This record gives sequence, C-alpha cells and structure tokens, in this order.
Amino acid sequence: MLELAELREGMELPELEKKVTQENINRYAAASRDFNPIHLDPEFARQAGLGGTIAHGMLILAYLADMLTAAFGQSWLSDGRLSVRFRTPARPGDTIRVSGKIHRVEKDEGKTVIICEILCANQADEAVITGDARLEVSDT
Amino acid sequence: MTDKEKNDINLLQTGYRFTPSNVGLEAGEVATYLAAVGSDKRLYRDDNVIPPLAVVARALKALFDEIDLPAGTLHIGQGVTSAGVIQSGDQLTSRAQVKRRQQRGKLDMLTISFEIMNQRQDTVMTGETSLILPGAEAAE
Repeated sequence: MLELAELREGMELPELEKKVTQENINRYAAASRDFNPIHLDPEFARQAGLGGTIAHGMLILAYLADMLTAAFGQSWLSDGRLSVRFRTPARPGDTIRVSGKIHRVEKDEGKTVIICEILCANQADEAVITGDARLEVSDT
Repeated sequence: MTDKEKNDINLLQTGYRFTPSNVGLEAGEVATYLAAVGSDKRLYRDDNVIPPLAVVARALKALFDEIDLPAGTLHIGQGVTSAGVIQSGDQLTSRAQVKRRQQRGKLDMLTISFEIMNQRQDTVMTGETSLILPGAEAAE
C-alpha cells in the first residue's frame, strides 16, 4: 500500500495485469447473476455481431477497483469515487493492463484529496476503460 | 420479477423510481466474485469487507431485471462513490431512479442514479449508470 506522505502528482500507481478467461467470465456471471448470453454463449454472441463472447464491463472495472484497493487500502473503500467510460469490450484471451497515475494531490482541512487518471488497456494498447478516481484520506 | 412484468424501457422517463431491491451478497457469492476478479486482498479474505463493485453489480442486475432492455443496448459509463465500508452480513437496499433521458439522433441516452443503504439506513454507496439505447425506430 502507498504511504500518504510519498504521494506526488505524476506518480504512477502499481500496475496490475489480468488475463481475461471464459472461466472467469462465467464465474463473474454467477456472482453478479448477469447471465446475458453475449457473455456466455459464443454462438449467440457471434450472431449478435460481436464476433464471440465479451467480458462484462463491470468485471474489467473490478480490476481497476482491485488496483485502487491495493494502492490505497481501506481509504479507497470508505471514501473513494470512480467515474469511467467503457470504450471497447474485453474478450477471452485478452490481457488487460490496469494502470493509474496521480493527477492531483490537494490539501483540504485536515485531509488530503487524491485525484488519479485510470486506465484499462488490452494487449493492443486499446483503451478498454478510461476514467478518473478520487479519494480522501484523513491527515491524522 | 419475471420477463412478462418487465417495464418497456421506452416508458421510463426522468424521475421514474425503480422498485427498491435487496442487494446483499452471501459469503459464497463474494468468494465467487473474488475468484472471477482474481483478487486475494486480505481486507476481503480476512476482514469480512465486501468489495463495493460486487454490490454495484448486484444493484445493476436488479435494475436490469425490472426493465426490458432492447438488443443493442450499451453500458457506456459508470460512476460509483463509496460512503462507508460494507461488511459481510450487512443488509443492503438499493434505490434507483431515472436521472436523465436524452435523445441523440436515433439513440437514447439513459442515466440511472442509485443509492445503497445498510440496515441502519446509512448510505454506503451512490452511483450513476449510463446506457445508450437504440432509439424506438432502430429497435423495431
């Protein structure tokens, strides 16, 4: 986990790399109860014009949340904010690089506000998710 | 809610309130979620903390169970703000409403806001989900 005192603008968050598999998409479907066949049935997804199954966008977003939890711990869970756009689908076999950079660090009445740019990109460097994250950490 | 009871999404206008939903997760579902995401964070494993996005996924499922999404609907954006740590065993209720509906050419953009409260009526999370729907003409 990162220490508050060491946070600087421009600093990169520790990256994660995640492999998207159909097995994990199936698990995510079970956990979220989202059994839309575009995620689970290759033939259905092909007929829908998707060229095969695609991962739930929220699964890929969960990778981002995992990176932020690793970087900021409970502060992220209790006082974090995410705002993202889903840019392109992730597919089984994709490798997703999850990254972030601190854009701003602001002091505000006994707390530090941290604003990060965040990104999930696939192995072709296409953006899968872009957005920003904001969290507040008490200085005490 | 069965498919027959789903609301026609074209009837959902700004201010429409969805039926409040129980969005708590069982321990087994959390374990499946963590396996899908490939997360082994101690907070989740040993401290009985529930990943916020697992709850959001469940809240989205409840929304999408209530509305009849046309083929071609895209989940394009997601915002989440955590207001407190969610613990295993918390009883969580999601309340959601249509925040905004805008027409852009043949596409409709629908923004749904939600609030998740625990058994003490504390807000633990808020968020917004943005969908692009094929317009009525395109969906026919």
